[in-house]
Amino acid sequence: MSAATVSVQAAQPARISEDWLSVLIGLGVFGLALFPLAGFDALGWVATTSVWTDPSAALAPASKAYASLSGFGALVITYLALLAVLSAGAFALGEDVKRFALAFTAVFAIAYVSWFVGSWARFAAVTPADQAKFGLSWSLKLTSEGGFIVALLAGLAIANVFPAFAERLKSAIHPELYIKIAIVILGAFIAVTAAGKLNLASSLLLRGVAAIIEAYLIYWPVVYLIARKGFGFSREWSAPLASGISICGVAAAIATGGAIRSRPQVPVLVSSLVVIFAVIEVMILPAIAQAFMSHEPLVAAAWVGLAVKTDGAAVAAGGITQALIQAKAAAEGVAYQPGWMLAVTATVKVFIDVFIGVWAFILAYIWTNHINPRPGAQKARPVEIWRRFPKFILGFVATFAIALTLTLGTQAGASGKLAAAIGEANVLRVIFFTLTFFSIGVLSNFRKLWEEGLGKLAAVYVVSLFGFVVWVGFVISWLFFAGVKPPLAS
Amino acid sequence: MPNPDLRDEMKAPVEPLLPVEKKLMGWSLSLGLALLVLLVLLNRVAPLN
Repeated sequence: MSAATVSVQAAQPARISEDWLSVLIGLGVFGLALFPLAGFDALGWVATTSVWTDPSAALAPASKAYASLSGFGALVITYLALLAVLSAGAFALGEDVKRFALAFTAVFAIAYVSWFVGSWARFAAVTPADQAKFGLSWSLKLTSEGGFIVALLAGLAIANVFPAFAERLKSAIHPELYIKIAIVILGAFIAVTAAGKLNLASSLLLRGVAAIIEAYLIYWPVVYLIARKGFGFSREWSAPLASGISICGVAAAIATGGAIRSRPQVPVLVSSLVVIFAVIEVMILPAIAQAFMSHEPLVAAAWVGLAVKTDGAAVAAGGITQALIQAKAAAEGVAYQPGWMLAVTATVKVFIDVFIGVWAFILAYIWTNHINPRPGAQKARPVEIWRRFPKFILGFVATFAIALTLTLGTQAGASGKLAAAIGEANVLRVIFFTLTFFSIGVLSNFRKLWEEGLGKLAAVYVVSLFGFVVWVGFVISWLFFAGVKPPLAS
Repeated sequence: MPNPDLRDEMKAPVEPLLPVEKKLMGWSLSLGLALLVLLVLLNRVAPLN
């Protein structure tokens, strides 16, 4: 992050850096998530929002153990818990705690409402099955990540229409802190997701490893080169863009932005683009897969997993692809066992996700040591590299490693408890992501970007995706899966 | 926090590719292609069922 970052006036000298504070809070959430291993659910009270058509049924505590709280009660407790922890954080950062607490109350309310609105089935339902479940004939297919877009738009509206109100909120506008806490928690979530697929993944090991190589070692440098040389983007824009397009969308773009210390608006804008493009991909790619790859279902499934860039949208696209291809195969008298295509899509995605931390670490090292070394210094010394290294990456790697070790090292019952508990922590991760998107909206004036600049970012996406990513993904999926069919239904 | 103005930023002189960026892209692509060839060969030896 450049020196020009969040302009929050400190009331006192900071006692801790925002980087280390994010690690402490992220690890604290992760630590609470581990309590169920000792028989106590410490995070089940967190308020989660499911996709809804009936607003009164949307909110609920993350765990049924806290069902007596009701959705609204869980929301109040979630707010109070975050208020207490983040107010303590504001104190540690040397800020005016009272001002922070007042502003955070409004920020939390607006951000959570954004998530709630983004979870409306008209916005969030993706698959035909989801639409049927909610009795809808159409939906925007934004997945529940559409709440991030709503939060960004809410922030932009406040910044541009109610600037005085935006000014009053600024004490609680800490996009970097929220992003970093979310990423530390994300490490554990990715670990338990990966561990849940390891059985299948081990049987698809070569394809999974190939997916990692494609995403990080083939797609990333090519997209980075297209952005830098083809479109003239700076390094600050090109790296999050390359990660967002090549790896896994929102999380990768944000982790990369943090790793190279870009301005926080940069990865958030890239993430917004990724979410919007994911909708287009979900609508187009399964239909293409059905039209041209219906006789190679696993090629189609792997291809979709490589092409669609957010996790939720990729799995949804895998589900739609499976439904379309199974329907076409059934019309030809072939009945595949359900689940195999979706599993291949999910496995490819999980393999790619697992390496975000490693990649962020590599980029952080290169940017700290070679691309943005301290002015005047010949070459960054190890202590300088450490000083400037984004510490939250260490928190991310730590939660990932610990959660993966615990999940694989415990018996099935215990690992199931852990996965459920990390799922509760993940609700907080989503809340922190939403707070981030809202904060960025409040701090930014994107009008000029929407007028002209965004088109150029989108052009990089279109050129990379349709000119390169889908074709390479198809060829390599074909090399590994051609002729391999799902088992037939008995 | 300064707002990003992509139009103004696009008018700025293009940042030249640094040697370390070229190395990053070159090494990534070379390593990626080599590993992919290796994996394809392995897949031929032990194909999926």
